[in-house]
Amino acid sequence: MSQTFPWFILFLPLGAAVLITLFTHERRELSARLSIAAVVVSFWLSVLLFTDPRAADPGLTLSVNWLNVGGLSVDFGLLLDRLSLLMLLVVTAVAGAIHIYSYEYMRSDRSFSAYFAALSFFTFAMLGVVLSDNFLQMFMFWELVGVSSYLLIGFWHDRPAAADAGKKAFLTNRVGDAGFLAGIILLWAMLGSVNFDFLAQKLAEDPRRLGAFSTVAGLLIFCGAMAKSAQVPLHVWLPDAMEGPTPVSALIHAATMVAAGVFMLCRVFFLFGATPQWPAGLTWLDGISALEVIAWIGGITALMAAVIAIQQNDIKRILAYSTLSQLGYMVMAVGLGGRTSAMYHLTTHAFFKSLLFLGAGAVIYRLHHEQDIWRMGALRHKMPLTFGTFLLATLALCGVPPLSGYFSKDALLGRAYEQNVPLFLLGLFTAALTTFYMFRLIFVAFLGRPRSPHIEEVREVPGVMVLPMLFLAVPAALLGFWAVNHYLAEQFSSIPPEPVPPWYEQVFAPFQHLPLVAFLGLGAIACGFFAAWGIYGKASKDPLPEKLGGLARAMRNRFYFDELYARIIAVTQELLADFADWFDRWILAGVGVRGAHGTTEFFARLLRLVQTGNLRTYAILFGAGVVILLYALLTR
Amino acid sequence: MSTLTYIIGWPLAAAVALLWVPRQMRVLVRLVPLLATFITMVLAIKLFWQFEPGAAGYQFVQKIGWVTSLDISYHVGVDGLSVGLVLMGAVVAFAAACVAWEIKEREKEFYFLLLLMTGGILGAFASLDMFFFYFFHELALVPTFIMIGVWGRGERKNYATFQITLYLTLGSLLVLIGLIALYLRSGANTFDLVRLTAYLGKHPLSPDAQLAVFPLLLFGFGILVSLWPFHTWAPLGYRAAPTSTAMLHAGVLKKFGLYGLLRIALPLMPVGARHWLGVVAFLCVGNILYCGLVAMRQKDLNLLVGNSSVAHMGFAFLGIASLGLIGITGAGVVMVAHGFLAALTFGLTGYLYQQTGTLEISELGGLLRRLPFIGSALVMAMLAGCGLPGFANFVGEVLVVFGSWKSVPIIAVLALWGALVIAAVYMLRALRNVLHGPLPEKWAALSDATNPWRKLPFVLLLSGLIIFGCFPRLLTGKITPAAAAILQTAAPQQP
Amino acid sequence: MIGLVHYLVVSALLFGLGVLGVLLQRNLLVTYMSLELMLNAANLALVAFSRFNRGLDGQVMVFFVITVAAAEVAVGLALIVALFRRKQTVGVDDLTDMKL
Repeated sequence: MSQTFPWFILFLPLGAAVLITLFTHERRELSARLSIAAVVVSFWLSVLLFTDPRAADPGLTLSVNWLNVGGLSVDFGLLLDRLSLLMLLVVTAVAGAIHIYSYEYMRSDRSFSAYFAALSFFTFAMLGVVLSDNFLQMFMFWELVGVSSYLLIGFWHDRPAAADAGKKAFLTNRVGDAGFLAGIILLWAMLGSVNFDFLAQKLAEDPRRLGAFSTVAGLLIFCGAMAKSAQVPLHVWLPDAMEGPTPVSALIHAATMVAAGVFMLCRVFFLFGATPQWPAGLTWLDGISALEVIAWIGGITALMAAVIAIQQNDIKRILAYSTLSQLGYMVMAVGLGGRTSAMYHLTTHAFFKSLLFLGAGAVIYRLHHEQDIWRMGALRHKMPLTFGTFLLATLALCGVPPLSGYFSKDALLGRAYEQNVPLFLLGLFTAALTTFYMFRLIFVAFLGRPRSPHIEEVREVPGVMVLPMLFLAVPAALLGFWAVNHYLAEQFSSIPPEPVPPWYEQVFAPFQHLPLVAFLGLGAIACGFFAAWGIYGKASKDPLPEKLGGLARAMRNRFYFDELYARIIAVTQELLADFADWFDRWILAGVGVRGAHGTTEFFARLLRLVQTGNLRTYAILFGAGVVILLYALLTR
Repeated sequence: MSTLTYIIGWPLAAAVALLWVPRQMRVLVRLVPLLATFITMVLAIKLFWQFEPGAAGYQFVQKIGWVTSLDISYHVGVDGLSVGLVLMGAVVAFAAACVAWEIKEREKEFYFLLLLMTGGILGAFASLDMFFFYFFHELALVPTFIMIGVWGRGERKNYATFQITLYLTLGSLLVLIGLIALYLRSGANTFDLVRLTAYLGKHPLSPDAQLAVFPLLLFGFGILVSLWPFHTWAPLGYRAAPTSTAMLHAGVLKKFGLYGLLRIALPLMPVGARHWLGVVAFLCVGNILYCGLVAMRQKDLNLLVGNSSVAHMGFAFLGIASLGLIGITGAGVVMVAHGFLAALTFGLTGYLYQQTGTLEISELGGLLRRLPFIGSALVMAMLAGCGLPGFANFVGEVLVVFGSWKSVPIIAVLALWGALVIAAVYMLRALRNVLHGPLPEKWAALSDATNPWRKLPFVLLLSGLIIFGCFPRLLTGKITPAAAAILQTAAPQQP
Repeated sequence: MIGLVHYLVVSALLFGLGVLGVLLQRNLLVTYMSLELMLNAANLALVAFSRFNRGLDGQVMVFFVITVAAAEVAVGLALIVALFRRKQTVGVDDLTDMKL
């Protein structure tokens, strides 16, 4: 039985998407139900697989050959190990909750069926990424995830901002994908296969196999993760992606798609076990390994995003930058070799971040699509459940014990402390900032005085929306006690983990393990909270812009990355395009084609001069011709 | 009688039959070509299905002698490479016949030319005799000129017609000279390809002869396939052409040159090939990057699509230039995939033109709301064009890039960039400006293709793309042995 | 004595006059007459050769030439008359309809 489950898990959402697109487009309710059913069944099957002891050990692969040409053989295979089983659970659980939530949230939208078709298609693509057993298959699903996010971000495509955001997301992802594919080809060229197990084995046997290109290959593959998980410098698409419907933001940009990058890095971590080496010409970089670069990019992303978040006023943008920041943490963890802590944080983050987005969605839904936090306020009593879950998720995000985020963040910071103290300090500071901006959001949007004109009509959201939020709140709170850490460590760690202690001991475990880290972590949270309370506790408008002036403006303008990129593109691509167009028009078509045409016509005109119509001219020419002929013949 | 003869013969017979149909019976005038191309398509699908993937050599062969003194005979057969092309050609021909409903005057002549084109193209792909190879190609090419000249559109129609006629005739001339030179120099006294290949395998042409004749064929075929820098006829020509002609020419007829290179030039003149294909690899960059960049600057949708079509040809050339099994298989897949894609895209823009009367991107906008089916089909076509997995183009491009990595890595990287990023930029910009955004008032009355008959050609073409994209072995299983056979003569020491 | 050379010189002079007439003359009829002059110069040369080399071939050829010339004159003059009726002129410089 278990052999067929993965195929069903993967293809049920695709089936729903195809059915909706081809047949049930007109029938909204049916489309929605098909889509929800597919993902719920997939979730249930994932649970069954997860709990099946034979599934994860030793891990099994089901594959059929998809393409076989010369030295390139690509299978379509499903790889089941602890990593993929865990991700399956996370993806289907969060996707399921969001599908149900969307049923109410998108109720009045006229493209209701199309929305669910796209959502199902996205689920299919994401599950494909999780289950892939080779690079090329993963790349294919990677692209499909990119395309579904393009369709979903630009879902309200008659709005220019949404259409532009979708395009930006796709193009930025494509840049990363180009690096990704280049890395895949490099690996194939040097090692002969694209299959994960095969490559891992080859590299384990001989870490020097990749020779001078090992670091480059690792970094190229990382390009894909950089784009998908929105790391600096390919992060610019994520905040704009908030133009999509809020459930889409919850699913794609909090819990699944962006996490795909981190997942992929964990999946192909064996690559970074190759002996680091740079090719000729770049040998001055010797000593820097790919993992170091990854760790620092992660850290910088985490910090920069947190700083920008402090000055954002759109509730979704704050959450978007928060996601960027947390993703930075995860990438940093992978760079420090901590796959377990990275995936742990990914899991906890999936739940509390999507919960945050759903809560934000509830607020937006009730306030008639208002998204500016300075026009909200005093929602706490009007929407108690929303507020409760939102607060819970915030506390989890900040890392307050005993919620899930506390455990995962502590694991991350602990890893950083052991490996790279500057990054640890960076992470600590970012944790303080995280608490600061999240509580800024809570104080301004949920507490304080009401600033929205619609405040009287606001009441709690309907059950269809509340239930998924409550469903997500449970793991957000309790995931720390479910031994996810140990589950992962069995696959990733070479050291067998210690047995799981009872829950009351688990809360204090970090303090016993690395007390300094745990205390500093709590200290950072406290600093952030009190700072936020002090500045925003009773604020009715943002006091920071005056105090920080230019810096605040830079933060609000996202450190001008978009402008910089626009400039770079204008100077390179657009300039080249103009040149190519000019060359095409004037040189190739002008000189080349019309030149040929003109030359022919010139000679024609020249020869025409002979035809004067005058008898005497012809006679002279005739005579001259005869003389020449005779001369030629007679002097032979 | 081989199935191939039926496939080639039906459209030609229908063309002759059409001449007898009175002009006034408009329904019959439309029905005859539709029926003929439909039957051809069904036969082609049957041919494809019955083709044995692993077997070497040609299948469905038929030979009827004609001029014995020069050994010219009607010799047809398909191998893995051409069977995909025949299938694609037949499907596109049927789709083109469906889409031709927009022609409202002198339909009889138009359909006559369309059927001639169909017969010619399929004959060219199936031909195993150099004379008939050329003959069928010209049979397909000349109607193109007439169709653009008479039923074309746009104010630069006449210029485009003259340009395409003269340019492509020049290309054909080079090809003809090359073929005749090949016949004369080989000393085999035969136009038959099978015999010639066998003969030249044992008594190869002298390197000097090869180095002289190969460029004739290369540049002749290259012009026909819009190799950079001989590509400027393509965008202009397609913009002026009526939709069916653009579909057939860009989709199918263009592939003739690539096919000719693979079938004739490469196996028979390996030394010349190795020498000149380095140049070709370099010119591919022109196609892929340069034309991609030019496409970004286009303000007319058909010009954009035309330039993108030229860019895709670069991939096929790159695959051929790699002289490796993976690369050539990739080239074969690109040929089939692009055939479907070009036909689909031109068919859709033709529909847009027919509805709105313009293809200026600045005039269009927000059309996805109003035309859900056509709009979605266009989205899929554009995404396929930038190499989205799930469509056949991705398979072809990936194979080409993988295949050319070992021989020309820098060009492979540039091709990758061109395929993934540059193509995405102009495709998505086009989508953004044509389909997304608010709907202008003047297009509020447009109608979508609701009739299933109107949808049929697009559905067929999309299916082709998706089927070969999801199950590439259907195609590569057939192409790879053929490619291996070609490489055996072309590059014997390479694996 | 009067030898072959004298006749040939006269013939050449006549031929030369004829050529100059054809090339430089503006009147179509006079051009035509010059053409005849050229033919007759050739006749003279042929007869002279026949006389001095003692063969009859030259004189036989002359008969052919005179006959053909007569026929040609008939046709040519008819054409010129028709042309004159159309164009009311026989000046060569005015008859340039065939100019490209």
